[in-house]
Amino acid sequence: MIRLFNWLRRGSLERGLDRELQYHFDRRVADLAAAGISEPEARRRVAVELGIAHVHEEVRDVWLTRWLRDFLYDLRFSVRSFLRSPSFTAITLLSLALGIGATTAIYSLVDQVILHALPVREPERLVLVDWNGDDLITYATGSLNLMPYPICRALQQQTRFLDGVLCRAEIEVNLTAGGDPRPVAAEIVNGSYFPVLGVGPALGRVIEPEDDTAPGAGPVVVLSYDFWQAQFGGAADIVGRKVLIGSHPMTVVGVAAAGFRGVDVGAVPAFWIPTSMYADANFDTGDEDLLNGHTRWLQIFARLRSDVTLTQARTGLQPWFKAWLQDSALRPAFPRISADHRREYLATTLELTSAPQGHSPLRHSLSQPLWLLFAATGVLLSLACLNVAGLFLARGSARGREIGTRLALGASRGRIGRQLLADSLLLAVTGGVLGAAAAPMAIRWLIAFLPHELAANAVRDTLSLRLLTFAFIASLAAGIFSGLAPALRAGGDGLVSSLRERGGTGFGGVRLRKAIVTLQVAFSLILLIGAALFLRTLTSLLAKGPGFDTSGILSFTIAPTQNGYSDADASRLVRRLDERVRALPAARSSAAARFAFLNGGAWSNEVTMQTDRRAVTDGIINFNAVSPGFFSTLGVRLLAGRDFDKSDALPVGEIGPRCAIVNEAFVKRYLAGRDPLGVLIARGGGSDVKPNSRIVGVVADMSYRGVRDHSEQVFFPLFEHDDTGATFYIKVRGAPEQAIPSIRRLVRQHDPRLPILWFRTLDDQVNRSLTTERLLAALSGSFGALALLLSLIGLYGVMSFVVTRRSREIGIRLALGATGASAIRLVLRDAVAMIAAGMAIALPCVAALGKLIQSQLFGVTATDPATVAAAALVLAVGALAAAFIPAWRASNVSPMDALRLE
Amino acid sequence: MPSPRFPIPQGTLDMLILQILSLEPAHGYGIAQRLEQISRSVVQVNQGSLYPALHRLHQRGWLRAGWKQSETGREAKFYSLTAAGRRQLAAEKDSWARLSGAVNLVFEEGSR
Repeated sequence: MIRLFNWLRRGSLERGLDRELQYHFDRRVADLAAAGISEPEARRRVAVELGIAHVHEEVRDVWLTRWLRDFLYDLRFSVRSFLRSPSFTAITLLSLALGIGATTAIYSLVDQVILHALPVREPERLVLVDWNGDDLITYATGSLNLMPYPICRALQQQTRFLDGVLCRAEIEVNLTAGGDPRPVAAEIVNGSYFPVLGVGPALGRVIEPEDDTAPGAGPVVVLSYDFWQAQFGGAADIVGRKVLIGSHPMTVVGVAAAGFRGVDVGAVPAFWIPTSMYADANFDTGDEDLLNGHTRWLQIFARLRSDVTLTQARTGLQPWFKAWLQDSALRPAFPRISADHRREYLATTLELTSAPQGHSPLRHSLSQPLWLLFAATGVLLSLACLNVAGLFLARGSARGREIGTRLALGASRGRIGRQLLADSLLLAVTGGVLGAAAAPMAIRWLIAFLPHELAANAVRDTLSLRLLTFAFIASLAAGIFSGLAPALRAGGDGLVSSLRERGGTGFGGVRLRKAIVTLQVAFSLILLIGAALFLRTLTSLLAKGPGFDTSGILSFTIAPTQNGYSDADASRLVRRLDERVRALPAARSSAAARFAFLNGGAWSNEVTMQTDRRAVTDGIINFNAVSPGFFSTLGVRLLAGRDFDKSDALPVGEIGPRCAIVNEAFVKRYLAGRDPLGVLIARGGGSDVKPNSRIVGVVADMSYRGVRDHSEQVFFPLFEHDDTGATFYIKVRGAPEQAIPSIRRLVRQHDPRLPILWFRTLDDQVNRSLTTERLLAALSGSFGALALLLSLIGLYGVMSFVVTRRSREIGIRLALGATGASAIRLVLRDAVAMIAAGMAIALPCVAALGKLIQSQLFGVTATDPATVAAAALVLAVGALAAAFIPAWRASNVSPMDALRLE
Repeated sequence: MPSPRFPIPQGTLDMLILQILSLEPAHGYGIAQRLEQISRSVVQVNQGSLYPALHRLHQRGWLRAGWKQSETGREAKFYSLTAAGRRQLAAEKDSWARLSGAVNLVFEEGSR
C-alpha cells in the first residue's frame, strides 16, 4: 500500500533525493578541496565514488519493488499505446463493458433474489421447521410450510438444540393512518421474532414477548424503516401514534432497524403486529383460539445452537416430536382415521431445512430462470473476451516488429508477455468500470420484467460493495482470459523471422485465431438456440392464451373482511355488488368469482366422486366458485348441461345441497366414457367425505393459476354459503378505461372506505402472468443477438487477416489463370470449416443443456429440430455473409499488385 | 590497485547505520564520515550504497527523517532512530554477538 502511495508522490521523493545527494556531493567536494585536491579533480572523484545515477536507481527500487515499478511503467506504456489507436480501444472497451455490465446486472438480481442472506444476526444458523403430517389427515396440500402456533411454543423449550424459535405469517390488512384505508402487506409475528433474528429498533421498541401472551394482548404496531420513511416522512414523533388496522385501533410503538425487510424477499411487510392480534389480521377462525388450537397458519423458523449441526438437531428433536404427535392424536377434535392411517401419521417427522435467506416461494420460482440468465451472461462475457483476444492477436501481428525489436534489444519474453497482459488487464478493468457504471441502468431495465411484488420492494438498482467486488473479479478474469493467449504467444515466432518480415504481416497466430472463432461460433449458437426456444415458448403461450376472451374485460377485487366486515355482511355486499355491476350501462355482462384467475394461486384439493362406485382423484383438482353468467362473460364454451342460475344460490350463511360444473379436462381424466351430468362429487378425499354436489354442466378448459396451467377444474356456485370477498369480471361496452370511473363510483356508493384491489384489464393480467417468460425471451433474445454480432465480428476479422496474408498466393493463382470464383471458394472453405466445427461443438452441448431448461419451456422441446435448425441457419447465413466480404476482396486481388508487394 | 580494505559484509551496513544513529541524529554525509572514522578505514563502505540503505531503513519504520540546518548552515536531511529502530538495533547486536561468539569458539577449537 505504502508503495502505491510512493508511486503517487514519486515526484517529490525524487526531488528530495536529489537535494540529499547534492548535499553529500558538495560537502565531499569541499572536504577534498580542503585537503588540497583541485576542484575539478575533486568533482570527478566524488562523481565516481558516489555513482549518482546508480544510487537513484537503487533508491527507486526501495520505494517501489521492482516488479511493481515495472508493472506501473507497463500500465503507463499501455495507456499511451491505447490512446494512439482509439478505434481498437473503443471496440475492445465496448465489448468488454457490454459483457461485464450484463453479467453484473444479472448477478445483482441473482444476489438480491437468490443468494442474499437476511440482514440478521448469524443468518446461516436459521432453519425452517416444517412438518407434513397434517396433510395426511386433512388432505390439504400446498401448505406453504404452515404450522400450528402451539408447536412453536413447544419448540422453544428445546434449548438443547435450538437457540430460539420464532413464527410468522404474511398478511394483508387495510391500514388507516390519517387518510383513506388502503391494503398493505404486513407480517404477523410472535414475541420472539425480533429477539431471535437479532433485529433491534431504529426508534421506540420492537415487538416483545409480553405483546404476545394472550389473544388481544398486544395492540401494537412496529413499522418497517422504509414504510416509516415513505408514508410518514420519517416523522420523529411516530411512536405513540394511533392507526387503524382494519377497524381496530392500534398503537405504533417503534420502527424496526433500517435494511430489515422481513424474512420473505417476495413479500416485504410494511409493518409487524404480534400474533396475539390474529383476529384483527382477518384470520378466519370461527371460535378457535389460534394461539392454542391446531390450525396451521404460521411458518416457524428456529436458530440452531452454535454447537449443534442441522442433522444433530433434526435427529435430536424427533423423540420429543414423537411424543407431541401422540398427544395430538389423542385430542378430542382429532379426525377419525383408520389404524393404518394413524400409524402413518405417527411416523411423520419434523423437517428442518437451512434457511439463511428466509422463506420465499417467489425466490424458488425465479431462481432457475435467473441462474439460466446468469449462465447466459457468462457465455456472453466469454464471447466478448474471445473477441478481445482475437483483436489482441491481430494487434500483436501489427506490433510484431516493435516486439521483435524489443526482444533483440534484450527484453525477456516474460517481460514482453507481462506487457501484453498489462494491456489486457488495463482494458478489462476500464471496461469493468464502464460496465459497472452502466449496470444500474441495466438493472432498472431488468426490474421491469420482474414480478410486481419483487420489483416494488425487494430489488434495488444500486451498486453494493458485493456487486462491485463481483464486477472487479469478473473484469480481472476477463482481462487474464483475453490477454493470456496473446501474452503466451509473444515472441513465439523466431526473432530473426519477425524482424525479417515486412510491415503489415508478421506473426499472427492464425491457427489460434481460428480456434477462437470456432469457439465463438459454438457459444453463439448455444445462445441463439436458447433465445429461439424461449421466444417460441412466449409466442406459443401468447397464442394459446388463457382459454377465454380477454379483450374488453375488466376485473377488480374486493376484500371486505379486511375492512372489518363480518362474514355475513361481506357476503351480502358481494351479492349486492354483483347485481348492481350487472345493471351498469357500461357493462355488457358481468360475473364474480371467489378467487381471482391468473394470479398464481388456486383453491385446490382432491375430489371424491360417486358413480357406480366411490373413487378419489389421484391428483389435486383446482376449484373456484362463480356466479351465474361467468362462463358466457369470459366466452368459455358450455359443452354440456347448463350454467349456474339464480336458483343455485342460497341465502347468506346457509349451506345446503350443491351443484357443480366441471371442465373438459376433468371429464377426460376421471369420467371418460360415461355421462358426467348427474355424477355426485365433493371436495376432499377423506373417508368421511360425502359426495353431495351434482354435476350439472361441462365447460371448455381455461387457465387458472397462469397461462401455462392446464388443469382439471371444478366450479361451484358462488353464494352457496358465506362468500367474504370476490373478484368481479366485467365485459364492457367500448374501451375498458372508460368504464372504470362508473365502477369506482358504484363501489364507493356502497362503502366509501372499501379499497378496490387490482383494478385492471384481463389483457394486462395475462401479460403480468407471463413475466418470467417475457424476461427469459427478451433477455435471451438480446444475448443471442449480441453473441451473434460478436462472433460475426470475430469471423470477419480473422478472415480479413487470412486474405491479407494470402493475397500474394492468391495473386499468383489468379495470374496463373485461376478464376475469381475459385479464389472466393478458397477463402470460404476456411470459413465453412470454422462454422461447421463450431456447430459440431455446440450441438452436443445443447442436447446436454436441454434437460436444464425443459421445465421453463412450453409447446417446444429443448432439442426441437426445427428450432435448432432455424438458429443454425441464421448463424450460418450471417457467418457466411461475414466471411464473404473478405473473400470477395480476395477475388479482386490484382495479380500485379500482389506480386509487386514482394 | 588492490584495496587493502574489506568490502563491507552483506547486511552489516544496516546494523552499523543504526548503531551510528543511536548515538545522535546525523545526515547522510555525516554517517559516511563516521563510518570511515569508526571502522578505522578497515572496512570499505561504498558511498553509493549508503543511500539505498537509509531509504530502506526509513521505509521499514526504523528511522525517521527530516530537513534541518546542518553545521555548515545549509539544510540537510537528518536521520534519527525510532523506537522500532532501537529495538531492531538491540536484536541485531544480540544476534551478531551470538554469531561472532560461535565463530570464535569454532576458531579456538581449531587452533587448540
